[in-house]
Amino acid sequence: MRRGFIIGPALVLLLAIAASWTAAQEAAAPKAARAAEGVKFASPVLVSSAGQSADVKMVGMMTKRLQLDAKVEMMAKPEQLPGIKTLIIVPGFSSKGLGAAGISQKDELARVTALINAAEQRKIPILMVHIGGTARRLGQSDAFNELAAKHAKYMLVVEQGNSDGFFTKLAGETKTPLGIVKKIPDMTQALEKLFK
Amino acid sequence: MKKHHVSAALILLASAAVSFLGGGEMLEMHAPDVFYPSASLTREGRLSDYCPSLKGTANDTRVYYFEGAQSGPTALILGGTHGNEPASALAAVVILENVEVPAGRLIVLPRANESGYTCTDPMEGYPQYYSIQSPGGERRFRFGSRLTNPVHQWPDPLVYSHRPSGQQLSGFEARNLNRCYPGRPDGTLTERTGYAIMQLIKAEKVAVAFDLHEAAPEIPIINAIVYHEKGEEIALNAIFELEMEGINCSPERSPSNFHGLSHREWGDYTDVNSFLMETSNPIQGRLRGRTDEELVVKGVSPEYLKALRSGALKITYEPGGEPIEKRVARHIDAFRKVVSAYNQTSSEPVILANLPEYADIVKNGVGAYLSPSAPGRKQP
Repeated sequence: MRRGFIIGPALVLLLAIAASWTAAQEAAAPKAARAAEGVKFASPVLVSSAGQSADVKMVGMMTKRLQLDAKVEMMAKPEQLPGIKTLIIVPGFSSKGLGAAGISQKDELARVTALINAAEQRKIPILMVHIGGTARRLGQSDAFNELAAKHAKYMLVVEQGNSDGFFTKLAGETKTPLGIVKKIPDMTQALEKLFK
Repeated sequence: MKKHHVSAALILLASAAVSFLGGGEMLEMHAPDVFYPSASLTREGRLSDYCPSLKGTANDTRVYYFEGAQSGPTALILGGTHGNEPASALAAVVILENVEVPAGRLIVLPRANESGYTCTDPMEGYPQYYSIQSPGGERRFRFGSRLTNPVHQWPDPLVYSHRPSGQQLSGFEARNLNRCYPGRPDGTLTERTGYAIMQLIKAEKVAVAFDLHEAAPEIPIINAIVYHEKGEEIALNAIFELEMEGINCSPERSPSNFHGLSHREWGDYTDVNSFLMETSNPIQGRLRGRTDEELVVKGVSPEYLKALRSGALKITYEPGGEPIEKRVARHIDAFRKVVSAYNQTSSEPVILANLPEYADIVKNGVGAYLSPSAPGRKQP
């Protein structure tokens, strides 16, 4: 009888610890695995760069392959948002890209901020797609990565760009689901799932 | 007094000996590298064929034509625009010595700025040569300068004003071939070289053209294809294919307001789809440390490894180094992928065969794909 009194509470305690540990693990884990579940985006789509890297064109090519109703604009502006149901932002700094656009990094940050604010006012969900790997990380790129990530409803990242856990950390802070794919070509399939 | 005469004579003799030996070593760099084009070579020419005022100059460089039995478009590849970017020149040599062209044409300029191979950059401590082991023995290549030799073009202006845009750059850029397009027939040696290449593109109706380069690990545009907007879809499709094979490559649009560069001016002034490719070359970087032939070939720099591990600097450097076989393999594979992507847009293809695969070059080394002797035509 006395033994039952000891074993009973001990089992309850063990179960409680196990449950708390599982919950904690779930909360701490990047939401990559369960992120895609439930998160959906719709067309028409406006695809914009943040930092003027040509990665946005790669994403544009993917939307074309998926036959999404999407328009790629390197320098999309708030005026282009009416009628849009998803804003895809492809962050990554390119000095050649900014040179081609004839703008400064400050101008580009201001443009992207205005676009994001306008999208949020119109309740247009933002999908951040980072495909540039380490080439579009650190340096001047991270200001754009952070800006896009903090306002995204969902983040899709090619693994190499998250090798230091940068996006995982941001996803944790903003409680934004994060999807990670191995290589750029895998991104097409990941996008397809989000728009299916 | 007599003693002084003897001392002076000895010093003079020693100085003369040093000058003679040093001068001889320097002049040795004027002897061109030897290439062995593949048996598919159909014709050889000189760059002066497109700009007579280049005849007899240091930049009357060799032009190799591979003309397929079946008609088709023409591809052009330039190595050695910058002599201190060895993988660019070596990739062009590997293509030159292996390629077969069943359809269309391929034109190869392995040393676009030949003058840049007659010297090295001052104050950099670069080696004059590097060697690659091939099955039949050692092949030695010159390591050159980024710029035209000042012996061939001097003095530099204080400010280099690009024509016709009027864009102003530092004076030494007047000797940088990749700042001198579209060039002028009566300009400086470098401008005439740029002009001749433009004329070649026009006269030969080149459809797709490549300028191979390398850059220091701290330069942001590395492992990248820079493209003129006309060839955007081709570049993106090629990058997609490279990524499928696990070869990281970034797309970079050519800025329309930065003049003198091949990817910009070739595309603006001719019908060609122009591409420039970059790999990571530690010997060009500021942190490289010991600068020798081994760094050219093995691409291993403890200093860059330290920088990579510290995370304080954004660099493109693999922990195991950036060996020349990997850099050459990347250039050749990207070249092949872009040509293949171009073929998807063309009614007729240019078919290139017998080029080594990326994995094979990395595994077997570049030397395995260099002619050990002279199966093709030996150059003087």
